[in-house]
Amino acid sequence: MSEATLQAKTSTFSAVWRNPTFLRVLLIAAVVLALEIYGRGWADPAFMSPPSGIMNAFLVKIAPEPKIIEALWFCVLQIAAAYALSVVVGVIIGLAIGATNFSRVAFFPVVLLLFAIPQVSLLPLVILMFGLGPAAKIAFGFSHGVFPIIMNVVAGMRDVKELHRRAARSMGASRADTIRHVILPHIVPSLFTGLRLGMTLTLLGVILAELYVSTGGIGYYTRLFAENYSPAPLFALIGCLALIAVLFNELVRIAERRLTPGKRRHPKLKIPVKE
Amino acid sequence: MNEPAISIRNVTQRYEGSGASGAVLAIDEVSLDIRKGEFVCLLGPSGCGKSTLLNIIGGLFRPTSGTCTVAGRLVDGEPHPDQIAFVFQESTLFPWYTVIENFRIALKFKGIAKSEWDDRAMRALKSVGMASFAQSYPDQLSVGMRQRVNMARGICVETDILLMDEPFAALDEQTRMVLGEDLSQLLAATGKTIVFVTHSLAEAVFLSDRIVVMTARPGRIKTIIDVNEPHPRSPDFMLEPRFSELRNECYSLLRDEIRATVAAQRDPQGADA
Amino acid sequence: MTSERGTFGTRSVQFAFLAIAGGAWWFATETGSVSRLLLPPPASVYATLERLVQTSAFWSAVLVTLTTIAKAFSIALVVGILAGYLITRSKLAMDVIEPVISGLFTIPITLFFPMFILFFGIGSGSKVAYGATYAFFPIALNTIAAFSGLEERYLRAARSMGAGRWDTFRYILLPGAFPVLMTGLRIGFFICLASVLGGETISSVAGIGRNIALAAELMESARMFAWITFVVLSSVTLNLLVYSLETRLRSR
Repeated sequence: MSEATLQAKTSTFSAVWRNPTFLRVLLIAAVVLALEIYGRGWADPAFMSPPSGIMNAFLVKIAPEPKIIEALWFCVLQIAAAYALSVVVGVIIGLAIGATNFSRVAFFPVVLLLFAIPQVSLLPLVILMFGLGPAAKIAFGFSHGVFPIIMNVVAGMRDVKELHRRAARSMGASRADTIRHVILPHIVPSLFTGLRLGMTLTLLGVILAELYVSTGGIGYYTRLFAENYSPAPLFALIGCLALIAVLFNELVRIAERRLTPGKRRHPKLKIPVKE
Repeated sequence: MNEPAISIRNVTQRYEGSGASGAVLAIDEVSLDIRKGEFVCLLGPSGCGKSTLLNIIGGLFRPTSGTCTVAGRLVDGEPHPDQIAFVFQESTLFPWYTVIENFRIALKFKGIAKSEWDDRAMRALKSVGMASFAQSYPDQLSVGMRQRVNMARGICVETDILLMDEPFAALDEQTRMVLGEDLSQLLAATGKTIVFVTHSLAEAVFLSDRIVVMTARPGRIKTIIDVNEPHPRSPDFMLEPRFSELRNECYSLLRDEIRATVAAQRDPQGADA
Repeated sequence: MTSERGTFGTRSVQFAFLAIAGGAWWFATETGSVSRLLLPPPASVYATLERLVQTSAFWSAVLVTLTTIAKAFSIALVVGILAGYLITRSKLAMDVIEPVISGLFTIPITLFFPMFILFFGIGSGSKVAYGATYAFFPIALNTIAAFSGLEERYLRAARSMGAGRWDTFRYILLPGAFPVLMTGLRIGFFICLASVLGGETISSVAGIGRNIALAAELMESARMFAWITFVVLSSVTLNLLVYSLETRLRSR
């Protein structure tokens, strides 16, 4: 927005109207306004609630309810645990598979094969194995999040430039030197691509498991609200979860900006290609 | 003093190709002596094995047969960073390190004491006029500036021998000429032995004491041309009739080889027959 | 991504890996070190699957799921490509809308599943809507990338040769966009498949996902594993099929 106001001062008003960020905010505001008008005027209150009603439901039915807040907090902890596990295990497996040409050609197709399985078909089994508590949700989040991290670490290691390796060797670098100063820094941008996708999928895994288990946690409340036809608190709860998801995604982005040396950041990933 | 800095004896390099491409003979029985402080260019059509030869001298490739000796020491597929520094064809600065960090890492790999790193790095950067960019990342510099830094990185390790693998290939012609002049001056100041691989006829004539003209694959030495002109060379050298004569001589020697290479690319079956 | 040819060595490692995994399954159930409830023996899973495929209930469940996927994917395909293409017609629209779509896609759309249940009920309608919504994103994003990624110089070259609007679309834009468009459809399809299965597992009355969840609720693990085996085998086959189809299209 500050950019928009700056432009308005220096040039004409049409510059503001062509500013994408400004227009985006305007577009979202228009959608919210339309929902508000539709929600108040025509919608069946059993299915729809205007945004103001959702805000109100958040203040009255969600925020003062310690059990719902606790469920949300648990959700945050599970996501954090599942993601931490995905990162550690994913990086280790990725490095192991990418270490040599042989291990990559041998094991990478196995990883792709496992990734091709619709994991959601294993969800009931995971719940049977790990129970209804956080363990199952962490396990399911982990099994989703670990794959993109493995795949991008392997891809990053494959792309190390032969000339960079050769330059290091000509300077007298040992194998350990090459790994520390050439290979590891090289995979950073690709690793972060994996970390971003890994976060998206960890969120998916944890949320899927949360929704499946309807006897407690988030899944209980979503089912409760949906069955009682009370859309306002349902939307408010979903909004809270979406906010949590946005915050987690943003954390990864901040880490990426901070930790990527030079101007080597990959362009913003537009196509979340699943391979 | 008369002992050559680099001595190449009957070096042959064969690549075991897979499938239809078959084995490739890249270099065939090449022998060459390079004196101390000499600037030698390897000139030849693409794919003639000149880069391969350079990598063998640097110990990055092990030759199929033959030997290469540097200052009396046999090089056999092991780099000797204490004697030889490489400057590669495209900028091989590590993009994840700043300019100064790139120098530190080279000195670290070579095993130089930490206290000396920054002194040496700044000296080398000053010699190419890039001292004020020490804290920049390579991606923030232009291609020409990057190649200056890359050259300086090769210089800062202070070896007697510098191997340069088409260092100016990615540069435009004007930048190339300026860097060439700088290189000529640097050489005169340090007395390093330099082996330089290039495609460019003018570059070869302008920089070298001797030009080694190679044949199309398999690479053999066709002729060696002497350029009797003291370093540092001024751009005026390029205007002299002798410069054009040498250039033309190189071109007439290379023409058939280039044609042979192009023909092989156009019709691989025809070339084999 | 894995166009690298496997050698005999790598193939045998892969084979050994699968053999060890299968062997471990068999061994664990034979020695009784794992509860039969969590991991039934391979033989009983196979027997159950064999019995299952002969029942009409099995095929009607498969049919429900396939119909749901087909409906959801068709909607996502038409809406995604149309919306994506229209957005690329204006640079401003692309700058404004594309970040909204890609931003939304980083949030698990699954979050909104309870809303679909609320709107469309517990039947297959909610799964169609959910699957279509999820698949819309990769299809729309790849369509945008496909039509905006084409380099300006091709368009300029075509114009210099006197190509009209339709010619430019038919001979330049469309073939140029095709590979990325196909990638979007492939990703969209598999996301559609996974989300329909997921929707059925979480809350539904019929379909493959419902049957897996039901078997789990009733603790009939051999039956659950039979269903899972069916899903895994068919989705892997489908993946390989699509992959070979894509490589063939691309090599032409």
